[in-house]
Amino acid sequence: MATSAFGQARYPLVRPGVPLVFPRDHGAHPDFRTEWWYITGQVRDARGRAFGIQITFFRNRPGLQEESPSGFAPKQLLFAHAAIADPTHGKLRHDQRAARAGLGLAEVSPTTTAVHIDDWSLALEGERYRTRIAADTFTMELTFSATQPLVLQGDRGVSRKGPRPEQSSYYYSRPHLATTGTIAIDGKPASVQGVAWLDHEWSSEYLAPEAQGWDWVGLNFDDGGALMAFRIRLRDGGILWSGGSRRDPQGSVRVFAPHEVRFEPLRTWRSPRTGGVYPVAMRLRAGDASFDLDPLMDDQELDARPSVGTVYWEGAVRVRENGQPRGHGYLELTGYVRPLKL
Amino acid sequence: MTGRLLIGPILQHPGRSLLCVVAIALGVALGFAVQLINGSAISEFTRAAQTLAGKADVTVRGPRQGFDESIYVDLARRDGVALASPALEVDAKLPGREEPLRVIGLDVFRAGRLQPALFAEGADLLDSLRADTVFLSPAAMGWLGVKPGDTLTVQSGLARHGLHVAGALTGEASLGRVAVMDIGAAQTLFDRIGRVSRVDLRLASGVDVERFVAALDLAPGLTAERPRDAGTATDRMTRAYRVNLDVLALVALFTGGLLVFSTQALSVAQRRAQIALLRVLGCTRGQIAGLLLAEGLLLGIVGAALGLAGGLALARIAMEIVGADLGAGYFRGIAPVLRVSPVAALTFGGLGVVAAVVGSLGPALEAARAAPAAALKSGDDQRAFAALRPPWIGIACLGAGAAASALPPVDDLPVFGYLAIAALLMGTILSLPALTAFALARIPTAQRIPVALAIEQLRARPAQAALSLAAIVAAVGLSVSMAVMVSSFRTSVDAWLEAVLPADLYLRSSSGGDSAFFTESDQARIRDVPGIARIEFLRWQQVLLDPQRPRVTLLARDGVDLDAERRLPLIGPIASTDPSLPRAWLSEQTAAIYGFAPGQRIAVPLNGRLHEFVVAGIWRDYARQNGAVLIDRAIYTALADDRSANDAGMWLTAGTTSADVQSAIEAVTGKDAVEFATPGEIRAVSLSIFDRTFTVTYALEAAAVLIGLVGLSSAIGSQVLARRREFGMLRHVGVLRGQIARMLATEGFIVAAVGLLIGVALGFAMSLVLIHVVNRQSFHWGMQLHVPVAGLALFIAVMLMLSTITAVFAGRQAMAGDAVRAVKEDW
Amino acid sequence: MLSVRHVSKSYPGPRSRDVLHDVNLDLKGGEYVAIMGESGVGKSTLLNLIAGLDAPDTGTIELAGVALAALDDDGRTRLRREKIGFVFQAFHVLPYLDVAHNVELPLALLEVPPKDRARRVDAMLAAVGLDGRGTSLPRELSGGELQRVAIARALIHEPMLVLADEPTGNLDPDNAAQILDLLRTRVKAGGAAAILVTHSDRAAATADRVLRLTAAGFTAEAPK
Repeated sequence: MATSAFGQARYPLVRPGVPLVFPRDHGAHPDFRTEWWYITGQVRDARGRAFGIQITFFRNRPGLQEESPSGFAPKQLLFAHAAIADPTHGKLRHDQRAARAGLGLAEVSPTTTAVHIDDWSLALEGERYRTRIAADTFTMELTFSATQPLVLQGDRGVSRKGPRPEQSSYYYSRPHLATTGTIAIDGKPASVQGVAWLDHEWSSEYLAPEAQGWDWVGLNFDDGGALMAFRIRLRDGGILWSGGSRRDPQGSVRVFAPHEVRFEPLRTWRSPRTGGVYPVAMRLRAGDASFDLDPLMDDQELDARPSVGTVYWEGAVRVRENGQPRGHGYLELTGYVRPLKL
Repeated sequence: MTGRLLIGPILQHPGRSLLCVVAIALGVALGFAVQLINGSAISEFTRAAQTLAGKADVTVRGPRQGFDESIYVDLARRDGVALASPALEVDAKLPGREEPLRVIGLDVFRAGRLQPALFAEGADLLDSLRADTVFLSPAAMGWLGVKPGDTLTVQSGLARHGLHVAGALTGEASLGRVAVMDIGAAQTLFDRIGRVSRVDLRLASGVDVERFVAALDLAPGLTAERPRDAGTATDRMTRAYRVNLDVLALVALFTGGLLVFSTQALSVAQRRAQIALLRVLGCTRGQIAGLLLAEGLLLGIVGAALGLAGGLALARIAMEIVGADLGAGYFRGIAPVLRVSPVAALTFGGLGVVAAVVGSLGPALEAARAAPAAALKSGDDQRAFAALRPPWIGIACLGAGAAASALPPVDDLPVFGYLAIAALLMGTILSLPALTAFALARIPTAQRIPVALAIEQLRARPAQAALSLAAIVAAVGLSVSMAVMVSSFRTSVDAWLEAVLPADLYLRSSSGGDSAFFTESDQARIRDVPGIARIEFLRWQQVLLDPQRPRVTLLARDGVDLDAERRLPLIGPIASTDPSLPRAWLSEQTAAIYGFAPGQRIAVPLNGRLHEFVVAGIWRDYARQNGAVLIDRAIYTALADDRSANDAGMWLTAGTTSADVQSAIEAVTGKDAVEFATPGEIRAVSLSIFDRTFTVTYALEAAAVLIGLVGLSSAIGSQVLARRREFGMLRHVGVLRGQIARMLATEGFIVAAVGLLIGVALGFAMSLVLIHVVNRQSFHWGMQLHVPVAGLALFIAVMLMLSTITAVFAGRQAMAGDAVRAVKEDW
Repeated sequence: MLSVRHVSKSYPGPRSRDVLHDVNLDLKGGEYVAIMGESGVGKSTLLNLIAGLDAPDTGTIELAGVALAALDDDGRTRLRREKIGFVFQAFHVLPYLDVAHNVELPLALLEVPPKDRARRVDAMLAAVGLDGRGTSLPRELSGGELQRVAIARALIHEPMLVLADEPTGNLDPDNAAQILDLLRTRVKAGGAAAILVTHSDRAAATADRVLRLTAAGFTAEAPK
């Protein structure tokens, strides 16, 4: 197995041609440096109020104390972010957790999606993901049920992130997850339902050293179609790499070549907290189609410096094509305050 | 006008007034300084503890060796716990340094939320997780002289490990000397896999802390406390020592008050006619009493103000030189900043003022009561002392003192012991006129004029002599009692050291700290070193017998049960015990604090379980104030599953020198990893620590004696001055200057001799209370009475000489004027 | 103004003795009386009784219409403060106060405003011939000067009765004459009555009338 050196540890590299095997590959890949399970979606309560939701679990292998017999040795670190975008509130409610895996207090399973940090958890049961998040000002108890097969991104699940072959990740997405459950803000619970998207991605060399950050979007079209697109920006403002895929309602997938994906900022928003300037409204050109992305609200910045050390914008967006509403999705903008490091 | 009436008399006798002020100031300064120093240390200790605990509501602690990490996991999962942060604390040995460094292993992800002050902002998260990095507090950096980027070497077992100093802990928090590293790394480095020593808990909102703690049901040896109580525990630990010093300061204040009393009484006696004149002119009794009290108040205020300033200076100097625990060794590893406490200032300043006012109360009331017409006549001044005559109050006081010394402690403090000392002191002072009259009446009448005159003069005015003596009797009593107590203590410690150090050479892994130790294989290799006839290893750790009290030291030594009679400084016989239970030997303190007697059973927490022992005997211990339990190491090893050892005592074969064995062992363990000491060296170091601890006591003694001596000379001087007319008349009838000088020398000698006699007797009585009541109840240790005869004799001789010289000197000054004017002079 | 009726006083003790026996004395306002008599006959005791410093065994003393027996110690003290001035044989000047402050003492006790006090003290010092000596300390003064201070102090608060107990006993004859003259002048100037206890015929001669105190009481002597 090809490896990459970091600290004292050797990390495996992503190699094309190794097929993903499920359910094993729903689980963690602890040898790789980074991994995440990323859920974004839009829901409405009984009164029709729209919310954006984000629940993310990260796994990191720092390559430290790997030989230690101590149960506290930080061989695997786990992080979790959760956020609710509530247009009536004007900014994200978010919270985060961080822990070293071990002693049963924070663990991640290598056999299926099952990860928890204290009382924050995400687990796959059959074709349903269940999550429980007990943040300081809100709680979420949600179930995400698969309605479509998963989408292997890139070349059968190997997604290139740069010009060198090792700059890749294993990556699959699960669009159109039927979402039900309860969210409670400031102790007031509300039943919600909607549609969500899950990404599961792992890698050892995700981001090239010269990269500044990336923009990513995942869109659930009202007609059952789905689209994922991303670009990796360079520190000098250029684009290092782009990619994406679109699955039509009938299930056929088209993978975009780098030159087929283009993000064009339509409007920016400046964060009063960090000074970061984000292109919160974008025109996305993917293949021969063009979509306009409008944020549910401008301030969807998430300050994760206490856990993973970064600040990013993770926002619910509405999608229009030729002025017509086409669906909902999430837009992620990273590296707008400082260059992103994983 | 009132101001002038007030200041006038004070300025008329500036020396006397100054003395009162100085005496009050000294008492205030000592009390205030002790309070300041200890208060600063406690507050620093508390702040450090609170910074370490951060936002925790509850802290769970266990024995020094730690407890199983599964207890942490259970706590973290418990209902009502919002966040649990584990810590592993190790006092790490630094090679070449005597004092250990406290290393705290933390989980940055949990401690970062609970104790954010412990983490430097902007530090690389990975640095907090590496196996070989530490973050040091600013105090630790200063102490060690290292900076970020340097390497710090710590010893674990006998091995050394270099740690990279990655940065400083946040500076704003006063943490004392600590290092923080990853808890996993600490477990590995210090060979404490699976153990934590502390868990800080943040409770979910709405959870009642008291109820939560009550429901915890912790394993034996564990305790849950609120972090803010940490200071209270420390406060309690030093309390006996501090109360001791406070009482000494109070005695100094009392001596000052006595001095004010005798000064004012003498002054009022001499100003009797002046005061009567004020009455004739129309001052009411109330105004006279008020005026005299105001004089006392003024002296008190000036004395208190000077005392507070002096106390502050004294505290600064003392903290520079002997440290915040005044040399007693309670506050290691913290560097307190002097914090001025308004409460302490008010308390001790107030006490100084009160002492002065109370001291002048008696004379003031007496002066106000005096009939003005009679008082205007000269020779009436003896009447002033009539009220002091009845001896029964004094005798009652002495009786109360004797009775109080038989009473038990209150809340672990020898309250009644101190009361007994106060009563003995007060009783003696009150009995002084009677005692003095009694003593003077027994002096044979002399033939030679100067001596005869001196004796007659003293007999005619015993009350005045008694008044001059009050301060010196108190001071001598205090000094003699302390001298006898300290000498008894030192002699007993010396004898005890001899008893507990039977081996030829001692070996220890670390003088402080718990990171260095001998593993089983280290022990085997040392055992094989040639020249060692016999070696006994010792393992110690600290265990919690009662959550409300500090940990006791658990000592496990080879071969204790085989040879206890010969090898332990036992007090009392060995109890015949149930052979089915292992035996425990308790130190005097443990037996006294926890109320154990030989034959009883004691449960000792080892490795998370309670094990029953039977108390086989009680031994004397001056080393571990919080108590010690000694068991056989074979039993310890089996019960605690711990084969390591900290120390060893070695008996050498004939013809082998300590140096041979030392170098042979160093070849096994490595140089600097271990320390050697011969019994003689240990004894010398122990006694020098002992002497350092009592430095403050010696200083207080010297101050008290100085006050008393100056008080005596001032009293003699003022009386001599008052007798100028008498001297003038004597000179008129043909008495030589030299004869008057001899007369005064005789008077001074007799007065001082009487005072010293009474003072020494009082001192012996008080020393018995100190030894058998105060020390026993404060520190739970016994000692053999030992009187430093030669020292006391020298002290008495010097005091006699100084008093005599003082009297002559005062007389020479009084006779400086011409005799004719002295006769004409009205007052 | 002063009325002494059937006053007797004896001192208890091993050497118990009757000092005064059934003594009567009346004094009108402004009257200047000398009392002579042997040592121990009770002259000083009588002054102490009149001043309320001591209480008679029997008999009554009325000063300015007030019976002393009806007052407690504080009451008698206040009466004395206001109505009586004292001059002693031994001067009794406070050693730690300067001349002016010694003289000011009665005014201070009577709570006279400080401004008035200074004026009155200055005037009084001038009147007794101590002009400019206000800041001197008693030890810097001669006996005669000290007694002038005492006289000034006895009169400064304009008492209605001045009691002088052998005021010239410690002075040489020249000084004594001056002091007696001064005392009389100042007493008369203030309109006060005075009782002068003395052994000296020359002193007694300065009085309006002379009373001789014997064990049997007063016998009057005509002024010379």
